[in-house]
Amino acid sequence: MSQSQPPIVSARHVSKIFRRDNFEVKALHDVSLDIPAGEFLALMGPSGSGKTTLLNMIAAIDRPTSGELTVMGERILELSDRQAARWRNEKIGYVFQTFNLIPVLTAAENVELPLLLTRLSKRERREHVAIALRLVGLADRMEHLPKQLSGGQEQRVAIARALVTDPAIILADEPTGDLDSQSATEVLEILARLNREHGKTIIMVTHDPHAASYARTTLHLEKGELLPAAAAAKP
Amino acid sequence: MTLAGFAAKNAFRNKRRTTLTVLSIAVSLLLLTLLMVVWRAFYIDQGTPSDARRLVTRNRVSLTFLLPAFYEQKIRALPGVVAVAPSNWFGGIYKDNKPENFFGQFGTNPADLLKVYPDFKIPPEQAAAWVKDRAGCIVDSRLAAAHHWNVGDHLFIKGSIFPVTLDLTVDGIFVSPVAFQSIYFNQEYVNQALPFMANLDDTFIVLTASPRDATRVADAIDAMFRDSPQPTRTETAKSFTLDFINMLGNIKAFMLAIASAVVFAILLVSANTMAMSVRERIREIAVLKTLGFPKNSILALLIGEAVTVTLLGGLIGVFLASLLLFGAAHGPAGQMLGNLRVTPGVFSLALVAAALVGILSGLLPSWRAASQPVVQGLRHVG
Repeated sequence: MSQSQPPIVSARHVSKIFRRDNFEVKALHDVSLDIPAGEFLALMGPSGSGKTTLLNMIAAIDRPTSGELTVMGERILELSDRQAARWRNEKIGYVFQTFNLIPVLTAAENVELPLLLTRLSKRERREHVAIALRLVGLADRMEHLPKQLSGGQEQRVAIARALVTDPAIILADEPTGDLDSQSATEVLEILARLNREHGKTIIMVTHDPHAASYARTTLHLEKGELLPAAAAAKP
Repeated sequence: MTLAGFAAKNAFRNKRRTTLTVLSIAVSLLLLTLLMVVWRAFYIDQGTPSDARRLVTRNRVSLTFLLPAFYEQKIRALPGVVAVAPSNWFGGIYKDNKPENFFGQFGTNPADLLKVYPDFKIPPEQAAAWVKDRAGCIVDSRLAAAHHWNVGDHLFIKGSIFPVTLDLTVDGIFVSPVAFQSIYFNQEYVNQALPFMANLDDTFIVLTASPRDATRVADAIDAMFRDSPQPTRTETAKSFTLDFINMLGNIKAFMLAIASAVVFAILLVSANTMAMSVRERIREIAVLKTLGFPKNSILALLIGEAVTVTLLGGLIGVFLASLLLFGAAHGPAGQMLGNLRVTPGVFSLALVAAALVGILSGLLPSWRAASQPVVQGLRHVG
């Protein structure tokens, strides 16, 4: 990270404790990290290690119990729900493992969804949607419903939806988890291209080493704690 | 795509469930619209401008008690009274007892009746012919059309209250602003057959100079006969009709109870559909929130979806009600339905009721879904 450019994500002693009935579950414990802008980071770790929790907090859909989390200069804890929603719409693109497309909407309409919250005209929205779908190679599938697409194509639509507002950060939670290897490779190549050619910061949660190999940096979480690079490198 | 378009698409996501809900709401709204139509006709419709000037005087005790015929002259002498006409229910049978052959038959004084009903449109030569013809009658144009009567036709009406059969010539056909579904004949016909009737009348129709005179004249008439053996009750023609209807019981409370039950039923149907629909999409709602949709937009989307369904049901219900009333008005017993129709006011009110049901039914499940934390929603397996 250069001295002149502040990290796009900065976490300091971030902890997250879930309370269920009378039990407390530590999802994250004292996590501190800096992610520079333009990074392609893979967050790895076994199930329950806190990868998705950390990702959700970066997206401001979850709040740390303690510590300080700053994303693109915004202190996540200080945002109200409404401010967080607006901020997320403008700054964050989110890709889910299970695509989560709206089944009654066409590919183009699914991609258009985040733009409905902007002041763009109908024509401008259409242009943005066409560009986003072209970027993921689905310009010819605009009017298809999700059920008419393959899993790989659905995930590419979901990526188009994530990048249609031109966010600085794209968060991907196991984006290849539900895909066959060929579709997974296509999706990972798109993410790598978005990072390489368009300068998007990509933070990807995965437990697949092949997926992580596309990232420039890999961090490991275990039992809610960030492992030192040396420990993570151990087999 | 717009948010409204998105809501509409969501509303038809489960086509079978939405269709059944829309049909349930349509049937309920059909009933509600019919109730509103009857309510309007009974309690709101003020009739024609001259209706406000018209009074009906009857025996204070009951309609079944008659009034002395000389009251007519005394009423006519009161200041503010323009015309008075007797109106006597004959209650005879035309052809048979089938509902389509039932209509009002009133004995009256032809010249006076035409004065108290200045809003009847009748060709002058027909009016003049009726005034001169003791065995003549005039008929409402809608009734004439339903029975295919023409001027010159003969109507045979067998008395069921009075032992006399009338052989009436149709002297004229009148057009009234509101359906009358009645015929008027010269009371002299009955009086000659039954001389005791010459000194008695059922009611008097009184036309006052202006609507402002109506209350004063009504009070004056009743005051004039208060201490007589046959005291009177004078009220507007509208109140007279309502009194007649209220003989059946508390119609207002009965109609309100049915309307409330109907609204409550559609509220439950719609709320159940919305609750199911929202429950199935908790994860999807969390996805929308992840994309940046604020709580208000989610609420608007879900409530918009509920309103789309109830409004569609409402539109179908109102359309069916209009169709039913139109069909019934043109059916065999159509003349009995009078002025029952879906007015723009009733149409709007029915749709407002449908929209309100949509909002109310969608509010609670939508609020719950919109308030759920995103992370919890994303974990939901539905």
